[in-house]
Amino acid sequence: MNAATLFGLSGAALVGIGLYGFVTNPEPLRKILAFNLLGSGVFLVFGVVSRRAAASGLGGDPVPQAMVITAIVVAFAATAMAIALVLRLLQETGRSTLGADSPGDTDRVSGNS
Amino acid sequence: MPEANVLPDATTTDGALLVLAIVSPAAGVLLSFVLGGQYAERIAAVLLPSGLFLASIIFVDVWRSGDRLIYIVGDWTPPLGIALRADGLSAAMMMTMAIVICAVAIFALADFGTRAGSAEARAPFAFWILLMAIWGAMNMVFLGGDLFTLYVAIELLTFAAVPLVCLDGRAETLQAALRYLLFALLGSILYLVGTALLYGSYATLDIVLLSRRIHMEPATLVAAALMTIGLFAKTALFPLHLWLPPAHAGAPAAASAVLSAVVVKGSFFIVVRLWFDVMPGMLGPAGAQLFGGLGAAAIVFGSVVALQQQRLKLLIAYSTVAQIGYLFLMFPLALDTVSAELQSSGALTGGMLQAISHATAKAAMFMAAGIIYAVLGHDRIAELGGVARAIPMTIFAFALGGVSLIGLPPSGGFLAKWLLLEAAVATGQWWWAIVMLAGGLFTSGYMFIVLSRAVAPSGEPLKPRVAVPRYQEAAALALALTSLLLGLVAFGPVDILQAGRLESMLVGPR
Amino acid sequence: MIGESTLLASAFVVPLGMLLACLWPQARNRMPSLLAFAPFPALAAVLLVASDSSLAIGSTRLRLTFAMDRPGAMLLGVSALLWIASGAYASQYLQGRPNHAQFVVCWLMTLTGCVGVFLAADMVGFYFLLALLTLGATGLIIHHETRSAWRAGAVYIGLALLAETLLLMAFVLLAAQIPGDSLLIRDAAAVLSASPQRNLILVLLIAGLGMKAGLVPFHFWMPLAYSAAPTPASAVLSGAVVKASILGMIRFFPLETALPDWGTALAATGGFAALYGVVIGITQRNPRVVLAYSSVSQMGFIVAIIGMGMLAGDGRAALAAAFYAAHHVLVKGALFLSVGVIAATGSRLLWPMLLPPAIIAVGLGGLPLTGGALAKFVADELLGDGTASTIATLSAVGTTLLMLQFLRSLANTASQDPQATPAVGLVWPWLATAAVSLVVPWTLYLTVPAGTLPDPLSPAVLWKALWPVLLGAALAVPLWRWWRWLPRIPKGDIVVALDGGMRMAVTWGKALERLDCVLRQWPTAGASLLVLTIALGAAVLAR
Repeated sequence: MNAATLFGLSGAALVGIGLYGFVTNPEPLRKILAFNLLGSGVFLVFGVVSRRAAASGLGGDPVPQAMVITAIVVAFAATAMAIALVLRLLQETGRSTLGADSPGDTDRVSGNS
Repeated sequence: MPEANVLPDATTTDGALLVLAIVSPAAGVLLSFVLGGQYAERIAAVLLPSGLFLASIIFVDVWRSGDRLIYIVGDWTPPLGIALRADGLSAAMMMTMAIVICAVAIFALADFGTRAGSAEARAPFAFWILLMAIWGAMNMVFLGGDLFTLYVAIELLTFAAVPLVCLDGRAETLQAALRYLLFALLGSILYLVGTALLYGSYATLDIVLLSRRIHMEPATLVAAALMTIGLFAKTALFPLHLWLPPAHAGAPAAASAVLSAVVVKGSFFIVVRLWFDVMPGMLGPAGAQLFGGLGAAAIVFGSVVALQQQRLKLLIAYSTVAQIGYLFLMFPLALDTVSAELQSSGALTGGMLQAISHATAKAAMFMAAGIIYAVLGHDRIAELGGVARAIPMTIFAFALGGVSLIGLPPSGGFLAKWLLLEAAVATGQWWWAIVMLAGGLFTSGYMFIVLSRAVAPSGEPLKPRVAVPRYQEAAALALALTSLLLGLVAFGPVDILQAGRLESMLVGPR
Repeated sequence: MIGESTLLASAFVVPLGMLLACLWPQARNRMPSLLAFAPFPALAAVLLVASDSSLAIGSTRLRLTFAMDRPGAMLLGVSALLWIASGAYASQYLQGRPNHAQFVVCWLMTLTGCVGVFLAADMVGFYFLLALLTLGATGLIIHHETRSAWRAGAVYIGLALLAETLLLMAFVLLAAQIPGDSLLIRDAAAVLSASPQRNLILVLLIAGLGMKAGLVPFHFWMPLAYSAAPTPASAVLSGAVVKASILGMIRFFPLETALPDWGTALAATGGFAALYGVVIGITQRNPRVVLAYSSVSQMGFIVAIIGMGMLAGDGRAALAAAFYAAHHVLVKGALFLSVGVIAATGSRLLWPMLLPPAIIAVGLGGLPLTGGALAKFVADELLGDGTASTIATLSAVGTTLLMLQFLRSLANTASQDPQATPAVGLVWPWLATAAVSLVVPWTLYLTVPAGTLPDPLSPAVLWKALWPVLLGAALAVPLWRWWRWLPRIPKGDIVVALDGGMRMAVTWGKALERLDCVLRQWPTAGASLLVLTIALGAAVLAR
C-alpha cells in the first residue's frame, strides 16, 4: 500500500464517519462538527490528487492545492455562519434544535417581517 | 462553426463585460461595508439597474453574433487559468435574473428602504448587501467556465441566501435558515468530492476541455453521481426538499421572491451545464429516466401537498417544489434515442423557458402574497375573503402568475409546455406528457382555491392594516405580465415553437 | 384585401380593446352600456368579408391565422346577433346590481374568446382563445357568488381545463404529424385520418371537445352552470359559447373521409345524449335546468349529425351541423332571456308574454314553418332512413315534450305581483332575439347553397315535421297527470358521483401529506440522498 492509497482510504473513512454523524445526529452543533469531519476527508482526497502529479517530477500539482485552500476557506466560512445561527437560536429560544420536522411547527411561522 | 472547437479559447470583444458582471456586485458589497448601512440602498439603487443594462448588452451581443462571449482571466488559458463564457443559456438566464432582482429591489423599497436621516438598521443593511451578493453569485454561476468556479459561486449563493431567510431574527426562521444551511452544505460537499475526483482523472475542470477528455470510467461515474445529487439537494428536488417549505414560507416577501425565483435556479443551472455541456453522452436512458422520475414525483407530491396547505406562502412554497420537478423532465426528453446523448433540442429550450417563466411568475406570486400579508395581517387562505376588492391589482398579478404556472397561452409556461410535449411525442415518451398535463390540472386546482377565496366577499368590510404603496403592486404586476407575455417570444424572428432553436442557435459550439 | 383583413381583425380586436380599456375605472363604469356594441365588428366581418379570406399575425415561422370559412361564418354571424341582444339585455340587467366590473370584464373576455375561436384557423390560436373563453365563462357563472354558483363554477372550470388538457395533447400529436411548420387546423384535419395515432388523437379530440360541448356523460356542468349564471350570461353561454366546441368538431374531424367505426360511435353517443337530455329534463322544475337539459339533448343531436357525416364520409355534414347549431344559438338564447323576462312579469301580462317563447320553444321540437323545422329538415338528409332517423323523430317528440315542460315551469316562475311589468330594456332585446330566431334560419337557408333539397314547404315535408310535435303535445297530458310520481333527480344528475370522488381524493391527499412529513425528516432525507446517489450511479452505469 503506497502513501497515496493510504491517504485516500483515510479520506474515505473520514467522509464516511462525517456523513453518518451528519445524517443521524439531531443536534445542530454535532452536525456542524460532522460537516467539518466530512470536509477534512474531502480535503485529504484533494491532497492525494495533488500528490499524484508528483509522478511527473513535480513536487505536487499546484492547482488542487489552490483549490483545497479555497475550499478550506469556504468550509470555514460555512462553519462560522452555522455557529452564528446556532448561537442566535440559543439566545432566542434557550435551546438549539432544528425543530420538529413536521409542518405543524410552520403554522406559527407568520411569514413576513 | 466547427473550427471554434479546434481553436483555443481567446478573449472576445466585449468579453470584459463578463468580468464586470461579476466584479461590480462584489464591489458594491464591499463598498456598502465601508460606507455603512445608510448607503447600501443607494449603492444598490445604482448598481442593480446598471446590472440590468449590462445583462441586456451581453444578451444582445450573444443574440446578434450567435456565438459565445469569452474572457480569459489574466490571459492564463485553461487548464491553468480560468475562463468566463457566456452562451445563449447564460445570456438568457442572466437577463431574467437581472429583471427579477430589479423588480424585487423596487418591491423591497417599502420594507427595507431607509428614510433620510434615520439610523442604520440591521435588516435593511443586510438585505441590500445580500441582494447584491446573490446577483453577483448568480452571474458567476451563469458565466463560470470551470467546475471549481461554479463550486465557489454556488457556495457564495448559499451564503447569501441563508441569511435572507432569517432577516427578521425570529426563532422559527432561524431554525429554517439553519436547516437550509446544513442541508445545502451537505450538497456542496458532495459536489466538491466530485470535482476532486474529476480533476484527479482528467487534470482539468474547465468545461470545454473536460467535455473533450471525459469518458466512462468508475471515478467519473462516482463523481457525476455525487455532484448531481449534491446539486439536487441544493435545488430541493423531491425527495430532498426538506428545507425549502419552511425557508421560503418563513422569509420576508422580498426575500422569498428571490429565494424561490432566483436561488434554486442557480444549482439547477449547474446541473444543466454538467450534463448538457460537460458529459452529454454519459447520462444514458436509465439515468435520464431517473431524472424524469424524480421530476414527476416532485410535480405530483408538491402539487398534492400544496392543495392541502392552509397558508398562502406555504402553498406557494410547495408549488415551487412542484415546479422544480418540471425542470427535470427535460432530461429524458432531450435524450436523443439513437445516439443516447443529451441534445440541445426543443426540450432544452422548453426546460429553460420553464425555468425563466417560473422565475418571473413565482417572484410575482410571492410579492403578491407579501402584499396580502401586509394588508390582512395573516395569510390564512380560508380567511382571504374580500381581499380582491381591497387590492385588486395584487390579486390580478397573482392570478396572472398562476396562469403562467398552469401553462395557459400566451404565457411562457405554455410555450415551455408545448415544447416539452412536442419532445415527448417525438421521442415516444407519453408518460412524461401525462405527468406534465396532470401537473397543470393540479396547479389550476390550487390556484382556483386561492383565487375563489380571495374573490369571495368578506363578512365585514376589510380595513387594510397598512397602505400598500402603488409601486409594490406595480412591481408584482410587471413581473407577472413579463411571465404572461413571455410566450410571445415565439413570434420573434428566431423561431422557437417549431424548431425550438433559440437557445441552441445561441448556444455556442461545444 | 387590406380592408378585409382589417375587418377580420377588428372582429376580435375591438372586444379585446374594450377588455383592456377596463383597466381604467372610468371606462369600466361606462362599459355596461357599450356591451351591445362590442360584437358589431364581428357581424360586419361576417357580412362583408368574403369566405376563405384570412389574416396572419406573427413571423414567417409561427403565425396565428384567422380565417372565415362557411360554417364558422354562419355560427359567428348568428352568435354576434345573440351577443348584441344579450349585451343590450345585460346593460339593463346590471342596473342597480353590484359587481358591474367583474361582470363586464368576464363578459368581454368570453366574447373575445368566442369570436376568436370561431375565426381561429390554427391550433395555437384556437387553444388560446378557448382558454380565454373558459376563464371568462367561469367568471360569469360565479357572478352571483352564491354557494351553488361557486360549485357550478368549480365544476365547470375543472372540466373545461381537463378538456383543454386533452385538447393540448391532441394538438401536439397533430402538430407532430403535419409535415413542415404548419399549425393550421385545416392541415391537421388532413393528416388525421392517415395518422398512425389516429385513434388516440380522435379519443382526445372527442373527449376534449365533448366535455366542452356537454356531451353525455360530460354534460353535468350544463344544468349547474346555466342555472347559476346571470340570465344574459346563461343566454350567451348556452347559445353561442358551447358552439365553439361544435365548430371545433366540424373543423378537426375528417368529414370528407369515411371513418365508419368512429362515425358510428360518435353518432350513437350523440343520439343517446339527445334522448338522455329529454328523459332527465322532464323531471326538472326549474325552467333554467329544463333548458340546460334541452341543450344537452340538442348538442347530442348536433354531435350525432357530425357522427353520421363521419360514418358516411359526407362533407355536407359540416354545413348541416353548423346550420342546426346556428338555429340553436338563437332559440336557446331567446328562451334563456325569456326566463328573466317572465320572472319580472305579473299575471296580468303573463299570457301575451308567454306567446313568443311558446312559439320558438315548440319550434325547437320541429313545428313547421319555424327555424326548428328547417334545421331538422336539413339534418334529415344526412340521417338517412335507419336507426338515426328513428332517433331523430324520437328526439323531436321528446324535445316538444321537454319544451312544454319548460313552458309550464316558466309560467310558474312569474312574478308574484300581478301588475309587474318587465323593464323595456329587457323586453326588446328578448323580442328581437325571438324574431331573429324565426327569420334568420330561413335567410340562411336561402342564401347558403346547401345542395339540392326537396321543397321544405311541400305538404309531405310539413306533415313529417308536424306529427312528432302533435304526438309530443299529446304525451304532455299524461306526463303532467302523473308528474309527481316521477323520481326527483338532482340537477346535474351524475355529478353526485363527483362528491364521492372528492372524498376519496381528500383521503389520498392527506396520505400524501403524511408521507411528505416523513420524507422531510432529517434521517429520511439523508437516507434518500444516499439511495439516490447509488441509484443514479447504477443507472448511469447500466445506461
